[in-house]
Amino acid sequence: MKIEIGHGSGGKLTRELIENLFLKYFSFPELKSLQDASYLQTETGKIAITTDSYVVSPYFFPGGDIGSLSVSGTVNDLTVSGAVPRFISVGFILEEGLKFSDLEKIVESMAETAKKAGVKIVAGDTKVVEKGKCDGLYINTTGIGEVVKPLSPEFAKPGDVVIITGFVGDHGIAISLAREEFDVETGVLSDCAPLNSLLVPLFDVKGLKWMRDPTRGGLATVLIEFSEMSGLGVRLYEEKIPVREEVQFVCEMLGYDPLYLANEGKTVIVVDRKDAETVLEKLRAHPLGENAEIIGEVTDKTRDVRLVTSIGGERRLELLEEDPLPRIC
Amino acid sequence: MKERVEKLIKAIHEITPKDRKIKIMNVCGSHEHTITHSGMRSLMPENVELVPGPGCPVCVCSESDIINAINLSKRDDTILVTYGDMLRVPTQIGSIRSNGRNYKMVSAPHEVLKIAKENSDKNVVFFSIGFETTTAPTAALIETGLPENVTILTSQKLTPEIMEILVKDSEVGVDAFVAPGHVSAIVGANAWKVFPEKYGIPTVVAGFEPENLLLAIFRILLQIKEGIAELENVYRGVVKPEGNRKAQELMYKYFEKTDVNWRGIGYIPESGLEFRKEYDHINAKKVFNLPEIEEKKVPGCICDRIVLGKAYPDECKLFGTACTPRDPKGPCMVSMEGACNIWYRFGTR
Repeated sequence: MKIEIGHGSGGKLTRELIENLFLKYFSFPELKSLQDASYLQTETGKIAITTDSYVVSPYFFPGGDIGSLSVSGTVNDLTVSGAVPRFISVGFILEEGLKFSDLEKIVESMAETAKKAGVKIVAGDTKVVEKGKCDGLYINTTGIGEVVKPLSPEFAKPGDVVIITGFVGDHGIAISLAREEFDVETGVLSDCAPLNSLLVPLFDVKGLKWMRDPTRGGLATVLIEFSEMSGLGVRLYEEKIPVREEVQFVCEMLGYDPLYLANEGKTVIVVDRKDAETVLEKLRAHPLGENAEIIGEVTDKTRDVRLVTSIGGERRLELLEEDPLPRIC
Repeated sequence: MKERVEKLIKAIHEITPKDRKIKIMNVCGSHEHTITHSGMRSLMPENVELVPGPGCPVCVCSESDIINAINLSKRDDTILVTYGDMLRVPTQIGSIRSNGRNYKMVSAPHEVLKIAKENSDKNVVFFSIGFETTTAPTAALIETGLPENVTILTSQKLTPEIMEILVKDSEVGVDAFVAPGHVSAIVGANAWKVFPEKYGIPTVVAGFEPENLLLAIFRILLQIKEGIAELENVYRGVVKPEGNRKAQELMYKYFEKTDVNWRGIGYIPESGLEFRKEYDHINAKKVFNLPEIEEKKVPGCICDRIVLGKAYPDECKLFGTACTPRDPKGPCMVSMEGACNIWYRFGTR
């Protein structure tokens, strides 16, 4: 067996790799939750740790670049775990021949994003590989945050409400068009942004159960994972899910499904029904959450994400095996 | 749209006779896509079944033709050109992609010309497969004048002819057809007249939006309720009764009806198109003297039954486990128009 592109898709193959290889050898209880960040107990309190590598191609894209992405992504992974992000480390793998001016732009963008998110970049590493051995540059970031509101899919119960903080699919479409494989003018920008200023204020909502940023594999994939981890079902309403007209148009042209496209500035939230309006109000009061919508609910049907279609029919959403757009982050 | 859709669904429930099972078959991958993607089955009365039939040309392309294509691509002096889906269709000797050597993908027949020009020292063989919708553009390509180094390996099938076989098969038990919009645009709505007139089977030509399909289903059920069988067309903006005469003339200028082999089904009389004798010089089967190779069934695969509407994809033991779009064992899992592929991507019943 060999590693395929699909092993990095965040979908079925990634999970097989994690379960059959990584967890076989790395059998630490902290890893078991398989959430975006792990919780660690220290003498002074609980911290969250996360790590992520960024290989996006191209490294400059409409609405962002690999630098802003590498900080936002890690900040968001901590935040959706109920932690306030504090510190970040950075590892660069650079290709011989990379333009210094490109690297400077990317580093500047990282610094700006970190400032916006209120996190400090406190450790770093640089390696250079021969020309042709990597595609410009790859970045790894690790983040540490203080856990304020522990969250888990296990806290969810039937009747809880599913909220999305805004339009889905923007990042996926922005990247796919930036690759210039198709000449379509849409003006769609990546939604890449640190979300802690939007989400940290939700930590004092008692009924907040679970959050996740739907990056690789999109909204559908993270909800299928939620369903499997919680043992509960999810019913989504196609009509309620915010998708920009331009994104829908490109999806129809190229055969993508917006529910499976990556987002880098959105969050799926599961919250107790009685706190749903409070969460929605808080989100909509923030520029990054003004298009937030209730898109569905948690049901007691086990391990099943069902989409109520625009004509009122129902179909089951499945994990994708093949990655429609590899190297999206 | 929502309101009209709701009304249609309500009306469908009201008029459907409840005393027996009603099996409505579509014979077009794009119809099956709309039905599955919109969850239309979940909206039907319990006794109404929407069954996918032979609507995917990739699924029924004969194994012998694909093996010949693989072998042609292995010749040093030859480049095989075909549609992307065909590269991945499994056969007893692998697929064009896994076992072939010199092959290129095109999305439309005219792209063959560019490849022929860039490779003027090679034989370029265009493996042209499909229903009427791809035969017409292939005929148009020939009409523009083929470069000397181009020949065509044709595996063209005809839709109305396979549907007649289905009607006669009591195991299938079709009560009505939704006729395919794209194919009808070429052959004309009148091509389906035989079904109501000769076999008493209501047939409605439909487009691809959920609302248009629901309208077709409603018209079918209304006919069944009234005990009549007629040909109707709810896709009139695109489909004319006589179809596209020019495309038909062009097709029959170069091709003639003949018995052809449908994968998993066998030879069906007059169900495909082969080059007329005077075009032997561009017919790859003649130029390269290609043999007929005996088909071997994949153990466990029930694509043959699925194509004929005798089984649903999720009734196959291999579905979603041994057979997936990434590693298809049977032809219906390959193309985005194949029933197994559609069901795998958009969830099952």
